[in-house]
Amino acid sequence: MFAQKNRILIIFILIFITFLNLPAAAENIDQQEDQKNEQEITIAYVPRSLDNPIFLDAYEHAQEKAIDLGINLEWVAPFAYDAEEQINIIESLIARKVDGMVISVNNTPEYINVINKAVEAGIAVATFDADAPDSKRLFHIGINNYKAGRVTAEGLLDVLKNNNIDYRQQGKHLNTMIMTGVRGALNLDSRIEGFLDRVENTNIRVKDIIENQDSVNLSVELLEQYLQQNPDIDIIFFVGGWPFYVPAEALPNFQQWAEDGGIAVGIDIFYDALLLQQRGLLQYLVGQDMATMGSKGLSTLYNYIMYDALPQEYIETGVEVANEQNLERLLQTHRPWRVK
Amino acid sequence: MFNKFFKKLFNRIEIHTIRTKLIISFLIIGLLPILLSGLLSFNIYRGAINDRISDYSQEMVNRMERDLEDYVSEIETFLSREQDFYINQFIKLTQANDFRNNRKYAFRIWEDFNNLKQMKPGLEDIAITFQDGRRISSYGTFSIDINEFKNRMYSNLSGDIFFTPPYSNYLQKEVITIVSSYYPEIAEENVLISADIDLDVLANLTDFNLGEKSYFLIADQNGDIVYHPDQEKIGKRSLLYSDGFPNRKVNLNGEQYILTSTFSKSTGWYIISMASADEVEAELNYITDITVYLTLVVLLIIILLTVYLSYSLSKPIQKLQELTHRASENDLSVKIDISGNDEIAELGQSFNKMIRRINKLMEQNVREQKLLRKLEMESLDNQIKPHFIYNTLDLIIGLLENKDFDRATHMVEALGKFFRLSLSHGKEMVLIRNEIKHVKNYLFIQQFRHGEEYEYIIDIEDFEIMEKHIPKLILQPIVENAIYHGLLPAEKNGLVIVKGYRKNKNIYFKIADNGVGIPTAKVREINKILTGELKTDDQKKYFGLRNVDQRLKLMYGGSSGLTVESIEGEKTTVIIRIDQRGGK
Repeated sequence: MFAQKNRILIIFILIFITFLNLPAAAENIDQQEDQKNEQEITIAYVPRSLDNPIFLDAYEHAQEKAIDLGINLEWVAPFAYDAEEQINIIESLIARKVDGMVISVNNTPEYINVINKAVEAGIAVATFDADAPDSKRLFHIGINNYKAGRVTAEGLLDVLKNNNIDYRQQGKHLNTMIMTGVRGALNLDSRIEGFLDRVENTNIRVKDIIENQDSVNLSVELLEQYLQQNPDIDIIFFVGGWPFYVPAEALPNFQQWAEDGGIAVGIDIFYDALLLQQRGLLQYLVGQDMATMGSKGLSTLYNYIMYDALPQEYIETGVEVANEQNLERLLQTHRPWRVK
Repeated sequence: MFNKFFKKLFNRIEIHTIRTKLIISFLIIGLLPILLSGLLSFNIYRGAINDRISDYSQEMVNRMERDLEDYVSEIETFLSREQDFYINQFIKLTQANDFRNNRKYAFRIWEDFNNLKQMKPGLEDIAITFQDGRRISSYGTFSIDINEFKNRMYSNLSGDIFFTPPYSNYLQKEVITIVSSYYPEIAEENVLISADIDLDVLANLTDFNLGEKSYFLIADQNGDIVYHPDQEKIGKRSLLYSDGFPNRKVNLNGEQYILTSTFSKSTGWYIISMASADEVEAELNYITDITVYLTLVVLLIIILLTVYLSYSLSKPIQKLQELTHRASENDLSVKIDISGNDEIAELGQSFNKMIRRINKLMEQNVREQKLLRKLEMESLDNQIKPHFIYNTLDLIIGLLENKDFDRATHMVEALGKFFRLSLSHGKEMVLIRNEIKHVKNYLFIQQFRHGEEYEYIIDIEDFEIMEKHIPKLILQPIVENAIYHGLLPAEKNGLVIVKGYRKNKNIYFKIADNGVGIPTAKVREINKILTGELKTDDQKKYFGLRNVDQRLKLMYGGSSGLTVESIEGEKTTVIIRIDQRGGK
């Protein structure tokens, strides 16, 4: 009875109380935000290895972004790629309770497990360069690897066409060797898939796929050995730029093979690779925007940690190509990484 | 002294048999040296093993100290590097946040540090740390809590190098860190250059097998454990710390250990060996067991040998003793049969010889006794002949009638003495003095009986012989022969001379008479019979002479006896020779 009679009064009182509490709640949220802002967060980047200079662009730009945002940035990885050691490093980051990590991994159970473990420990995890979509990672930043593979294949076809090599003639096959890091690395497999899809209706046939275990040294060794044994191979598709870090003089068989008319295309653009292209050892390159992976990957994860800004699951950084037309310009914009 | 002791001992434990004494003696003689030498050897060996364990432990810790110092020295050499262009550039550009130009130096440092890691096993990480905690290491770039890191550091003795106790590093690995300061020329601020050493390096350095319970540990100057096989103890204060780790025996958790340590100046660490005393003792126990078993085996062999030797030696003695006992119980038929040429066999042979000799002597004695009894009887028979007695008694009566009481008394006295000395209380041996008296009484009586038809002289030159013993009734039968067969048939005033003297330890008696004498042929015959050259079946022939001669030969050997010399119609001399050296 009382309730019915005073319903309006009760509603009014409730609204009044709510109104009174609103500033306090807003103040509380602001305090939390301020506390978060004052606290320096730690985000670790875990590339596949330290000895792969392709990650240096990402390293450089991530550091710059970290300064801008006040992030304590860690850049840690095994010197040479080693899945077990990389996982150990991720485990140590979990133990040290970093706030977030951006990692380049494979979509394999071991990586998926450690990523999920980190996420369950409250650490925000993103992937860059190479993804593990089956894990609970927050997002992936990188190129569209399938598309990069297709672009590379299209570039190859243009090169063949320009060199008057008939890639539609079904009577004669153009034998191709593909050099990749490891099978199972999703980014690399996607690139191969895109490449193969694009050359499906040509006479380009994959003769061999060589795995270099993500090692620069091993890639050089395998390439030289392969060309020693298969000098008649027509085309080489480098899924990544592992053997491009050495000067042409370190690749005599490859040099000779190119002089004899061999066509090589690949993914990853950096200064040394452009030098090889300039010397005619490589005909067409597709590059990833590693700088964006470094800076945008960090800022996106930072925004998620600091402001709960939920990112898109896939952040595409786009590709660039290096061909005869833009080679000189690219040589001006890319810088050598090696200490002379 | 020893004899007395052993006698007392043997008496106390009632050990009387030679066999038991031999067994005990052999055991003591055999066992004592073995036990003493065994004990001595064991103690010497025990001491040697203890010394060896101590030396070995000391050698081990010294070796570890050298290895540790070598290892640390190499790390120090790297850390104490002179100005490094790339590091300087990296420091400068990092401080300027010039990431664009710095990345190639970062890459170069990663490359260098990882190459060093490859070259130096156990080098877990190498890092350059800025004063704000930023760090570049072989694993990349990251930040650490610089205050926490510095609090962990302590300097070595020289003060130029710092160490940390074991802790979990960036990669959550248990390490110790060696730290040095690096002063770049181009920057105001110094940085720390450090090397993380995997604890496995310390484990490998101390990976020497001292035994299952034995182990090594490393502790710093405060006694805080830097390395211990039980990882839970790492970082804790060692219970063994006592103003250092002096070498000693310690009891830890109920276990005895031999602690041996050395101090590393370059690290400021103690390297400590804990050798389990039980395991050392186990080795000693093994040696003890071997010694005991060997001693037991030797003991057994000695006992067996002792029993065998004692049995071998005591058996003939026991046999001898048994036969001697039987012989003492008048069983002279015993004969010991012991083979060999040793003293006991010789003793056995002597025993047999003695028994044979005793038997022979017994037989001789019996024969002699028989002869003696016979002679006595004959002597008595002769002397107590009725007419001898009647005449003597008539003489005595006549003397009494003539009131010659003195002479009658002498006669009675002489007759009494004669019979008394003839019997000699049954003794076989009499003093020469008594034998002479006997002869005097006999001659006195006979002289009186026969009207003093002859004289007699008793001449003993050497009075010492008077106290010697000779068989009784040696002289009287010869004197009797001289009167009855020499003087009385001569019908003239006769003379009997009894002379006694000593020459060359022989006693001689000469009984001479100046009677009818004996024909030369007869003298020769008598002497031949007496020397045994001639046998006679007539036992009564020269009975008196033969009786005395045989008794003397039986008593004193073949060199003693009678010799008869005579000049017919003039004189007869009987010489009695007694060779005392051949006497019993």
